[in-house]
Amino acid sequence: MINTNNLTKQYGEHVALDQLNLNIQQGEIYCLLGANGAGKTTTINLLLGFVQPTSGSAFINQLNVQENPKATKQFLAYIPENLMLYPNLTALENLDYFSGIAGKKLSQSALKEFLEESGLQSEAINRRISTFSKGMRQKVGIAIALAKDAKVLLLDEPTSGLDPKASNEFGLLLQNLRKKSVATLMATHDLFRAKEIGTHIGIMKDGRLKQEFVVEDISLNQLEDVYLDTMNYKEVTV
Amino acid sequence: MLSYNFKYELKMLLRSRWIQLLSIILVLLFGFATYNGSQKVEKRKKDIAAAQKEVKDDDVKMLKLLDSVERGLEVSASSWTIPTSPMAVGNYHPRVAAMEPQPLAFLATGQADLFTHYVKPKVSGDDFALNFTEMTSPVQLLFGSFDLAFVFVYLLPLLIIAFSYNILSSEKESGSLRLLAAQPIGLRLWLLQKMGLRFFWLAVIVVLALTIAFLAIGMNPFGQFQSFVGLLGLILAYMLFWFAIAFLVNLMVGSSAKNAVALLGLWVVFVLLVPSVLNQLGNTLYPMPSRTLMINEMRILKAEATKKQDEILDNFLRDHPEYAINDSTQRRGFYHRYMASQKLLKEELGPVVNTYEEQIQRQQDWIGALKWISPAIIIQESLNKMAGTSTQDYESYRKQVVAFAGEWREHFMPFLYNNVEFSQEDYPNLPNFNYVHQSQDQLLSISFALLISLGLFGLGIMISQNWKEVGILNQG
Amino acid sequence: MISKTFLKETKELFREGRVRISLFIVLLLLGMAVWISALQYKNVNEQYAAAKTTERAIWDNQGEKNPHSAAHYGTYAFKPKYPLSLVDQGVDKYAGTSIFLEAHNRNEAQFSAAADQTGLARFGDLTPDFILLFIIPLLIILLGYNSFTKEREMGTLTLLKSQGITRWKWLLGKWTALFTPIFVITTVLFFVAGLVLGNLNDFGVFNWSALLTMMLVYLGYYIIFINIVLLISSLAKKSGISLVISLSVWIITCLAAPKAASNIAESKHPYPTRQEFAANVLQDKEDGLDGHNPWSKEAKILEAQVLKEYGVDSLHQLPFNFDAYRMQKGEEHEAEVYLKHYNHLKNQYSNQSKVYRSLAFISPFLPTRFLSMAIANTDYTTQWDFADAAETYRVATQKFLNDNFAENSSYGDWSYQADASVWKDLPVFEYDPPNLDTILGNNASNLSLLGIWLLASFAFLSFTTKTV
Repeated sequence: MINTNNLTKQYGEHVALDQLNLNIQQGEIYCLLGANGAGKTTTINLLLGFVQPTSGSAFINQLNVQENPKATKQFLAYIPENLMLYPNLTALENLDYFSGIAGKKLSQSALKEFLEESGLQSEAINRRISTFSKGMRQKVGIAIALAKDAKVLLLDEPTSGLDPKASNEFGLLLQNLRKKSVATLMATHDLFRAKEIGTHIGIMKDGRLKQEFVVEDISLNQLEDVYLDTMNYKEVTV
Repeated sequence: MLSYNFKYELKMLLRSRWIQLLSIILVLLFGFATYNGSQKVEKRKKDIAAAQKEVKDDDVKMLKLLDSVERGLEVSASSWTIPTSPMAVGNYHPRVAAMEPQPLAFLATGQADLFTHYVKPKVSGDDFALNFTEMTSPVQLLFGSFDLAFVFVYLLPLLIIAFSYNILSSEKESGSLRLLAAQPIGLRLWLLQKMGLRFFWLAVIVVLALTIAFLAIGMNPFGQFQSFVGLLGLILAYMLFWFAIAFLVNLMVGSSAKNAVALLGLWVVFVLLVPSVLNQLGNTLYPMPSRTLMINEMRILKAEATKKQDEILDNFLRDHPEYAINDSTQRRGFYHRYMASQKLLKEELGPVVNTYEEQIQRQQDWIGALKWISPAIIIQESLNKMAGTSTQDYESYRKQVVAFAGEWREHFMPFLYNNVEFSQEDYPNLPNFNYVHQSQDQLLSISFALLISLGLFGLGIMISQNWKEVGILNQG
Repeated sequence: MISKTFLKETKELFREGRVRISLFIVLLLLGMAVWISALQYKNVNEQYAAAKTTERAIWDNQGEKNPHSAAHYGTYAFKPKYPLSLVDQGVDKYAGTSIFLEAHNRNEAQFSAAADQTGLARFGDLTPDFILLFIIPLLIILLGYNSFTKEREMGTLTLLKSQGITRWKWLLGKWTALFTPIFVITTVLFFVAGLVLGNLNDFGVFNWSALLTMMLVYLGYYIIFINIVLLISSLAKKSGISLVISLSVWIITCLAAPKAASNIAESKHPYPTRQEFAANVLQDKEDGLDGHNPWSKEAKILEAQVLKEYGVDSLHQLPFNFDAYRMQKGEEHEAEVYLKHYNHLKNQYSNQSKVYRSLAFISPFLPTRFLSMAIANTDYTTQWDFADAAETYRVATQKFLNDNFAENSSYGDWSYQADASVWKDLPVFEYDPPNLDTILGNNASNLSLLGIWLLASFAFLSFTTKTV
């Protein structure tokens, strides 16, 4: 579902992403780990078509992102690190608006179902977003993905700033989406959540994908060791 | 997308109280401005009516006096004011040459506070010495008037700027832009729709507020339907211009603050700087000859004419043999010499006086050629023209008055040189002044402003073809 | 602490592109404005000098003439431009520059520049006062709107608080950082204006103290704006809101209030139209002595009175020409009528001024505007003063001519011709505008309004920043 082929992005001399080859299938949750500036957000921006690659290409649902910017967006949903919605509109109205401009006309009851499915308390459905916490806003984000019937979900640091309970709930939601055979790419710093939620893990450094694992093959401790190893931090933290 | 944008844009505007706030502000501004304008027009009408009435009352007295004289009764008036003398009628019983306000005069004060709306030309005196300026405190002229034109030209763009400076940047700053950009839509089209919707709602508010303001002061906007539609067309075209500017600035997105500063800078340029620079350049390129030096010239000519009065009169009579033939008395007095000298003076001063008119015409042409640089000028001029208070209107009035003054003078010339007395029978033949308003079509201005706006929108779309979305979508 | 904040703010300001660009633009505009005004000033004064000399020559060379003919022939009084009009043009554009001085009539100053220009002139001119009054306040807003809000938005406010700042010192640092560039621009402008005027010393008396006073007035105006902008910035939650509120204040203060004030003043205390005024004057004139009419009731009363006073029984026995004497008495009556009607006008204007002053509580622009024009001698009061001086001169001229007529001829002798050399004996019309002390005395209320604004804005600023 999500494929990249030698995807490279340079900003002048600086190589932000170097020949990335990703292959994420339906029902997979791929967690990209790495320090700030490792190239995680660049990858997501390239998959969204916000940024043009220097070379290589990105595919969503077998469609080249650069060639079909609008068509590929039909299949994907994206939740930015700090998801902001329209504060003066209610959760329901925000969902209606975003799915509406994406071309999905849905009844009020259908919209409500999506919100409930994403775990939003029913009393919050008709409240304005300005009163929402980050966790609640992300639930609306998931509802937007659900309503859109997205095949691909791109997440940028979804669990940063969430309390453990909300973080846990979010993980459960992703599992739910996984059952609907959504392919998810999630950029994160959170090793623990990656191990918990993900099916696959990739570690990036300086724009390169250094390591890839299947989650079942590795324990959390091993993951941490490998991660720190990759970051060359091991010596420092003796 | 349009239907969803339409539905939710309105909701958001209502919930953020923008629509309510704008409606209240506009109703208040339009109300106050319309009230001010209509007060000025009322005063103008009242003044003219009072002057007309005075002349009427005065005429009754004059006719009575004439009647007494004709019946050989003793009268108590000073000898030189008795209306049997044609010069007495011409000097002491002048007609009112009034410039009646146009139906939409309350729209724009224009030059109305600077110039007078009625004069009473007499047979003696110089045409160019007719004072057409009104007795006003110059402080008032300096500050100008809070009229509808001011609200349209100066304030409306500022409201538009406040209403649209951050359409895109606020989405960027709040972070919702990335979510939007992840939807299968064109951001350019989305922005255009947002702009269009805001324009639509503001237009609706403006039309309603204007109608309310008109009705509140007892003007029926539908009575003058054609002009009202013309006015709306003009304002909407101007609003569209500012929305186009806002669209461009939004596209070249900086932060909200940068947008606001850029738009404000453009406002200063279009509304304040371009007009004043054009005016100053016009004055420098086509300077008005000094009026003080004109006075000198006129005085010298007059001094010469006074010395040669008798000669001038002889020449005049030679040119007008009809006077010499018809008059049996051949009596020649002060006025015979005076009027002949005046006539000569007028001819000699003609070229000097004309230079002023020519120069102002050149300045006007200069502005006409360059006014497209700032739609503020186009709109102000068009509003002045609609209101009948533009420079051209007053110039046309001035010319008509001078023509009438000539007619008035000529009317008494045969009486004077034939030494014929003015009688009651001659009263109905006295010439009267009727101001003819040269109406100007606003269609050109409207289409001009529209063209500029569309051009700007086109420019915006062209620029955004190679839009670096990087800059827009990456925070910071 | 104060100097640290000042340095940091100044650095921040000058590292921002918009600040550098706007400063550059303001300086460029100022330069252009001063240059254009200096040219205009020179030009007008050359014309003034030429017109004055020519007119006097015309008067002096009238030749032999009856003094009353000379009175009707009349002369002109011209108003010069004063040096500080280089900085503030005031109402000069709308005020007439020449007054025709003749027998029996007080004429209005004629030929204002605005009447000879297109409608575009009403948009305003690119003159130093336009920039000083409108653009620099805008610059202050641009420089200062986010002074406090940015600290809040970037989160540096909490950091600063944790460093244990003293609020008033912090505030003073920010205030100084905003004031310094404005102070520099203003000082440079006035210094350059002073130099330009020093080099144009052919005309008018230029004094540095007036220029300095004017500069202080403007600095006061800017301090008020700085206080308001900082006040708004300290109260607003976001930079955007602070900017919009500050701009609204600017619009109301500089654009809307003066216009609204002008409308209110006019509808509350209207001037008569020119024709109305003339008709009223005529009516009052007719109620009194007409110098040209020996048959009127008033003329007969005067006759009896004079005969009684000199103890003679015929006008021919009087030691002077009674025709000329009556002419002078008529002139005095007419002058009184004019005085009355012009006093009414002045009264209306002083009532209008009260409206302007009462609206000064929403707009510090108004007292500044009036003070600046007054100091530059380009205000309406100077125009009145000039017109009054011209009228005094006219009355004196009539007396001079009538006295000559009365002393040198006898009753009924209208054929008397005064000698060609007589005209030179008439003193030249000289007008000196009010000096600085008088101006400041007249404008005490405007000065105190500006003072109140200064104090109040400082008070509010120091009061509210306690809650930052």
